[in-house]
Amino acid sequence: MIATIKAEWRKSRFRPAFLVSSGIIAGITVLIYSVNWYLALHPGSAERAANILTLYPDQVVNFVMGAAFPIGAAMAIVVGALFTGSEYGWSTTKTMFTQGPGRLTVWAGRVLVFAAWMLIITLVLFGVGAASSVVVASFQGHALTWPAAIDVVKGMGAIWLIFFVNGAIGMAIGTLLRQPAAALGIGLIYVLAVEIIAVRFIDLINNGAYKWVTEQFVNQNATALAQSFTSPAFGRTVAPAITAEHAVLVLAAYGIGLVIVAAGLLRLRDVT
Amino acid sequence: MENTTIVETHGLTKRYGSGVLAVDSVDMSVRRGEVYGFLGPNGAGKTTTLRMLVGLIRPTSGTATVAGLTPGSPAGLARIGSLIESPGFYPYLSGRENLRVVADLASVSQKRVDEVLDIVELSSRAGRKFGTYSTGMKQRLGVAAALLKDPELLILDEPTNGLDPQGMAEMRKLIKDIGQGERTVLLSSHLLGEVEQICDRVGVISGGKLVTQSTVQELLGEEGVLVRAEPIDKAQDLLTKMFGPETVSRRDGAIHLKTRPENSVEINRQLVGAGIGVSELRPFERSLEEVFFKLTGEKQGS
Repeated sequence: MIATIKAEWRKSRFRPAFLVSSGIIAGITVLIYSVNWYLALHPGSAERAANILTLYPDQVVNFVMGAAFPIGAAMAIVVGALFTGSEYGWSTTKTMFTQGPGRLTVWAGRVLVFAAWMLIITLVLFGVGAASSVVVASFQGHALTWPAAIDVVKGMGAIWLIFFVNGAIGMAIGTLLRQPAAALGIGLIYVLAVEIIAVRFIDLINNGAYKWVTEQFVNQNATALAQSFTSPAFGRTVAPAITAEHAVLVLAAYGIGLVIVAAGLLRLRDVT
Repeated sequence: MENTTIVETHGLTKRYGSGVLAVDSVDMSVRRGEVYGFLGPNGAGKTTTLRMLVGLIRPTSGTATVAGLTPGSPAGLARIGSLIESPGFYPYLSGRENLRVVADLASVSQKRVDEVLDIVELSSRAGRKFGTYSTGMKQRLGVAAALLKDPELLILDEPTNGLDPQGMAEMRKLIKDIGQGERTVLLSSHLLGEVEQICDRVGVISGGKLVTQSTVQELLGEEGVLVRAEPIDKAQDLLTKMFGPETVSRRDGAIHLKTRPENSVEINRQLVGAGIGVSELRPFERSLEEVFFKLTGEKQGS
């Protein structure tokens, strides 16, 4: 197992997809902070106004949750699909499966390294968010106060879970289709269109009698989990229909389930 | 007593879901220490058979043992090096870094990476990204990866595919070198000359069936001498008197003699001495190509 983790890490640490994703998430975070800062200082109209209080360090957890989702989730699908689908495109599956460790061991190492990368991207997100908030607070002459450590850990755990589950969607589709391009296309279409249309349709049936079905969808739960991190500074008053605890359980079930399904596909299918 | 067979299959069969019978009841045995040529036209079932031997594909029926173990078992794979079809590496990593990934996975010392790069003469270009490699360099890196474990059995599937003539010659030399000593090499190819030059024994597969399995010499048959002379009947009578009727036959207007080529001088002297004109006198042996086409039912030049 250690051998497969070492091999997976060695091949992934300079992988352009991961490095670019980390850069993108950092760039997006800086961009969103910058735009909101500008809008807070130059409101123009009431609809576009941003509350400067949301940009200070004490709100960093709540702010980056909104900044990272859903763009970060979509990016995780792309990275997940590339991570597994490219192994077929490059014919490296056969190389990896003929060295000694069993297929499930290789897969376990791959999943752990992917999880580690999602954690790195989460750390980049929070790190850049914290740095941006410090810049804003320093320029605005606001005190540098930070959220409680437990809130930071919870926030990081939540965003990591959202990234990992969406990445697992990409990884499972990449394994199923044995190629990256179609996998990332299907993954993105699911998250950006299929789930949204399905939720709207199901909500309409019988006056919302089947709303509980939509509460089991991946990104309904991811959205609810992200929105559970808020404060009066953000002006949200309506509590999400799905609780944070429910969202964590559903997302964890999806993550584990998708990893197991992909493991089954790898274990049983021929490598042609 | 140690088992002399390193690869053994019995009734090995692969039928795909679409109904295509890719490999049909193959009984193959590869002996330890030999270079075994697995010969067959494109689509004959060579790669599918080799994929079954390394556990990438599960057989529909039949059995196989590789190094005494079930194909694909971790203990078995630890003793096998393989290059199946095209080499599969990460294009954004250098050749050396790709080998390091494989070495990590195979639990092989990182020192071995530089050793195998030296063996395949790729050390000077090992720092370049795999994606920028030429076909020949990619194949060499594939062989290097297969050698990392210092394997008992090396399985190479068409390693000269896509190489230019010089690259092919270099690869043949490399395979000959690494096939020296105790190591067994199972080499699949559709190139007859390649197999003839490198291999001790040959298995010929056609349409998914193993048509024959023997040494190259057995496959080519006995050596002999071909004679074209006028009048041919008189020449045949004389040669029959000299060597006996069982050694003389006539094919395509020529006389085939089952005798050592060293007897050519005496044959020429006798024929000329008897007033027979000799237009051609040369050692004769069937080419592997001729045998191959006969065995596989393929037409030459088609």
